[in-house]
This record gives sequence, structure tokens and C-alpha cells, in this order.
Amino acid sequence: MIDAADRALMEETVRAALASAGANTEIDGILAKLGWLEMLEAEPADAIDVVFSALGATHGAATALDDVVVSALGTKPRPDLAVLLPRFGAWDPPGRIDGSELSARGLATARAARAGELLVVCGEAADPWAATIPLQVAEIAALRGIDPDAGFHAVRVQGAPATATRLAPAAWQAAVALGRRAVSHQIAGASRAMLALARTHALERVQFGRPIGQFQAVRHRLADALVALESLEATLSAAREDPGSETAALAKAVAGRTARTVAAHCQQVLAGIGFTTEHPFHRFLKRSMALEGLYGSADEIVLDVGRRLLAARRVPTLIEL
Amino acid sequence: MAFSGKGIRDSRAVTDLADYRAQLREWLDANHDRLAPRFSPPGTLDDHIAQMQRVKSLLFEAGWMQFGWPERVGGRGGSPMMRTELGAAIAGRDLTDPGLYSLIEVLAPTLIDFAPPELAAEVVPRLLSGAEIWCQGFSEPDTGSDLASLRCRAVPKGGDARTASSWVIKGQKVWTSLAQYSDRCVLLTRTGPPESRHRGITAFFVDMNSPGITVAPLEMINGEREFAEVFFDDVVVPSERMLGELNGGWAVAMSILPYERSSCFWQRIAYLYQRLQKLVDAAPDDDRAAEVVGNAFLQLHALRARSRVTQHRLAAGGTLGAETSIEKVLLATAEQTTYDAVRRLLGGVIEMDDGTAGETWRGEYLYSRASTIYGGTIEVQRNIIARRLLDLGSAE
Repeated sequence: MIDAADRALMEETVRAALASAGANTEIDGILAKLGWLEMLEAEPADAIDVVFSALGATHGAATALDDVVVSALGTKPRPDLAVLLPRFGAWDPPGRIDGSELSARGLATARAARAGELLVVCGEAADPWAATIPLQVAEIAALRGIDPDAGFHAVRVQGAPATATRLAPAAWQAAVALGRRAVSHQIAGASRAMLALARTHALERVQFGRPIGQFQAVRHRLADALVALESLEATLSAAREDPGSETAALAKAVAGRTARTVAAHCQQVLAGIGFTTEHPFHRFLKRSMALEGLYGSADEIVLDVGRRLLAARRVPTLIEL
Repeated sequence: MAFSGKGIRDSRAVTDLADYRAQLREWLDANHDRLAPRFSPPGTLDDHIAQMQRVKSLLFEAGWMQFGWPERVGGRGGSPMMRTELGAAIAGRDLTDPGLYSLIEVLAPTLIDFAPPELAAEVVPRLLSGAEIWCQGFSEPDTGSDLASLRCRAVPKGGDARTASSWVIKGQKVWTSLAQYSDRCVLLTRTGPPESRHRGITAFFVDMNSPGITVAPLEMINGEREFAEVFFDDVVVPSERMLGELNGGWAVAMSILPYERSSCFWQRIAYLYQRLQKLVDAAPDDDRAAEVVGNAFLQLHALRARSRVTQHRLAAGGTLGAETSIEKVLLATAEQTTYDAVRRLLGGVIEMDDGTAGETWRGEYLYSRASTIYGGTIEVQRNIIARRLLDLGSAE
């Protein structure tokens, strides 16, 4: 783990570099120049936290999630290797192997459109297998969805020849956990950006002869947005200090809830201007909606967690002082 | 392993927090029968008070209670987080009510920081060992969230504040927890002009058996009498019982905040996990229940994570201020969500059950409605967050 000063410098450097990007297509190159893959190898927790928070805050779309998931699966990440993510809202392995034929359906980042190979995890979550196939055998379609800038692609593989190798039983869950943390940091960055926009508006927008930020109804909405954001940051710290499937799942669920709370309050405070595409708010709203479905939405994770509590009839505390 | 007499295997071996926690849990397991409540649930307030004092005395006798307190008041030093662990461990095992127990964390540090050293050395061990109960006389009928407007008056006997050997107190307090059980009271009084707000407040440590004190317990919404009105009718208090400086009572009141918002919260969180466990034991096994308990669990986890961050910041020498309003809001919300979950999943138990489950959950459910009110209402917390953390300037 790096010290606080180095960490602050890293945050500043990454954020400034990403903010200078003219287009999403430049971002992977910028991250590569900053030494993203080296950072990910040396200090994965810091690298993921800093890079994904900055991506969220600057509305940047990178394909760094591929590297996070690939490395969590025990493969060395490289720019021409993409990974197949589960379908929107799901977190099971996206592929299945039938003899020597691989079929799969899921999402991918923009890397799938230009990389050479695709890593696909198959089988059961607790008994995962992995296969790397050439991307030419996959059907890939760019997804517009609510956020065309996010760069997501729908990927389908039907009966492609593949050789799968067995992964460690916990490999898939570890990849899901790290993927969830990365996405949650990105959602946190986007949520913080929404709150900053709404706060600025509350200070500048004058109605009834005063800035609307003087009205308690507005102040309380923004206060509740900050409460949600701070609880997300704390949950992410817990996921980092006590890494595991459970703490990562809860962080992702809190991220989804936080994004909804922050977006609702900020959009209401931004009122008319927040309803236009002139104002940048809509980008963060749409990005957070697209991201919430990666590795399960808050509602789906909460339901899953609740089922586990009831099945075990035990409420674990997960973290200690 | 034998645990006769001394609870701690080897006091020198308690090296860090994790070690303290591990040894403590082992001891609590081994001594479960001695520590367990003697009443059947839900128990009256009298039962809970007696249980708390009995548990404190057992913990004191075994040496656990002294960890995390300074040696000059009979403690054994070490990180204050040890006390937090202790309170959380006994709340998490349902051995004491965390609200009652946490008065230690609110009141003992005040004496340690502001009382004359010999007074602190004399009385703090009596609080820790269960020999005494103390109360906190802050709120007044016209002073809810706006504490600086308090009016209970203290005047120097003879008229000169610098030379007076005693002070005379007149006025009224309300919402004083456990006043009718208490031996002492940490009392805030008005010593400056009426309009002096926070600059004209002085704190005193008052014996509750002093002539002129009348305690009138208030029946709460759940039928218990935890709070009281306390009337001071020319009560004489020696000058040595002043806590902190003359007109320095605001600093005394504010010094409590870090304890209230760190260790007390952690203890309450442990208790809420235990309550969610009780619900999970009894809840139906279906998806509606899964969603409801999953949601409460999520909120408790976020709160616990936030509280941990805050306590580590405090232990690293940081000061706590406005940012603890965040966990105050999270705690209030998570507490009500937890009891709302009980009401939703145990159909009719809170409303119609006259057995043990009904009596217990009903009282706690009703009590939980206060969590957005006491310790500064949730609205006051949002005002603080808007002003101090979001820097939105002053309100209209």
C-alpha cells in the first residue's frame, strides 16, 4: 500500500490526465502512458480506486475494467485481450462449454471492438473454466442504450471451437468482487460529480431574491446526497481493508443505491437546466444508470444477500474495529 | 484454561486491540451464565439497570472494564477503542442495553478532562465499577436542539464568582436519562447574562442527593420511565465541583461529541446487528423477507463501515466535528429501518402479541422512533452537513 502523499499525487495526476482527454478513444492511451498496467500489478487496490474514481468524476470511458477482471482471473492483462462481462444485471459466468464448443452471451467494453482475443469464463460460479477465443468468432454489436458514450457492446458466441481450462474454485468470485469494486468506484466518482454540479447550481441560481442553496428544502436534499456518498466511500474502504465477496457485493449495492439517491436529489435541485443536454448533469446520470447493471444492480444484490442471511440464519458483522 | 478471579490471562499479554477482543470474547463465552440477565425478557427498566450495574461490577472485578481508561483514574491505559470493543461485545450479546451503558462514554471522559484530578480519581472508578450511576443534565423544556439557549441558572454565593466557595442552582432540566437512579449529574447551567448563549454556560458535577433536587420521571411512548424532569430549587454546589472554566461549559458539552459519535455509536451498531440476528432467526423464508432483511443488513454494514473509518481517524489523533453528523443520520436511519423490518416481517407481533416477543419488540420499536430526534434531530444534522460539509453558506 502506498502512503498518503504518493496516493494524493497519483489521484491528481490521473484526474488531470483524464480531464485533458479530448475523446473517449484517447483514454486507454492516456492510462497506458500513466503506467496503468504496472500500477495494477504493483498496487491493485490503489490503482483501481484512483483510476475508476477518476473515470467516474471525468465521465471518461476506458476499457480498464477488462484488465481488472483479467488479472483477477489470474491472467496477465494486455491491451489486445478483452473479457466477456455478464449480461446486464447478472453476475454468473457468461459462457458455457459443451464438449469443445463454447457458447456465451454478455457485455463487453469498447475493447471487444478492437482487441484480438476474448477471455470467456464458463461453467458454474463455484467451478469456473476459462477459454480464450479469437474475437472474429464472436458477434459483436455496439450498444447505444441510455449511454452510447460508455462504449458497451453486446457479445454473442455460438458454438465456437474452444479449449477451456479449469480455474481455481474461487477465481470467478474474486473477479466479480474486484469488478464490483472497480465499477463502484466509478459510480462514486460520477455521484460526486453530480453533487458538485448541484452544489454549484444551488449557490449560483437565484430565485425569490436569494440563492436557492439558502432554502432548507434544497440544503436537506444536498445533505442527504452527501450522506449517501460518504456511506459509499466508507463501504468501499471496508471492501478494500476486508476484501471478499461479501464486502464487495455490499459496496456495489450501496453504490447503486447511492447513485439513485444522489441523482434524484441533484436532478431536482438542478431543475430545468438539469433536464437539458446543455448542462453536463445528464451524462453522469446516464453513466451511473449504465454502470449500475454491471455485476448486479443494488436491488438484485440486496435480494441475494438477504436470501443468504435467511438460508444461514446468521447475520455476520464482516468488519471489526 | 482457568478463569478464577482474574479474567485476563496475563495483562502484559494484551498487546493490541485484536488481542483484547479475542481474549475478551473468550472470557465472555466462559462466563456467559454469570453475566446473563436474571430476568425474563423484556424486563422492566429496574431490571435493566440492575443488570447493567451487575455486569459492570463483574467486568471491573475481572479487569476488563479498566482497559482504555487513563491510569490516573484507576484505568490500565491503552487505546480507548478497547472500551468501545467492550461495550460492543456486551451489547452484541444482549447483556446490557447499549443506550444505558453508553452513558459511561458520555460522562466519564468529561470528568477526566474537566474535573479537578483528585475528584476524577475518586469518582470515575465508582462509575466504571457499577457502584454509581450518573446522569447528564443538558436539555431543558425550552431547549431541545438549541442547547445554547439553556436557562437553568447558577449564581455564586456571596455574589463574586472568583471568591465564592459555592454556587446556587435554580431551574429545570428535562429528558435527563436515569435521573431517578443517579448518584451524580453533569449539569450545564447559565452563568452569563441570559443572552450570552454558548459563552455564558458553566458545567457542574452535582450530587443528586443534594437538598433542593426533585426528580419527576416521564413515562415514554413505550411505557418505561427512562427520562425525567429534574427541578433545582436553590441547590448549593461547592465551587470545586465546577467542571472546566467559569463560562467554559460549552467546551465541556462539545467535548462529549467525539465519544458519543464514536464508541457509543459502535456499541449501538453491535446491538442493532444482534437485533437483526433475532429477526433473521424468526423471519419467514421467502423473497419478500430476503429483500427486507437484506436492505437492513446493507444499511447496518454501511453505517458500521463509516463508524470504523471515524474511529480510526480519532485514534490516529484526528478531531471529530461536523462530519460525524453523517453517521448520526446513517445511524438514525438504519435503526428505524431495522425495526421497520421487524414490523413488516413479524406480522402483528408488535401490534397484537402479548407474549415475550410482542412485549420486547413493541418497546424497542417504539423507542426506535426517537432515533431521528435525540442527540440533535436529523434536521439539525442536515443543517450542519449543508453548512459545514457542503459549504452552502448560511440558510435563509
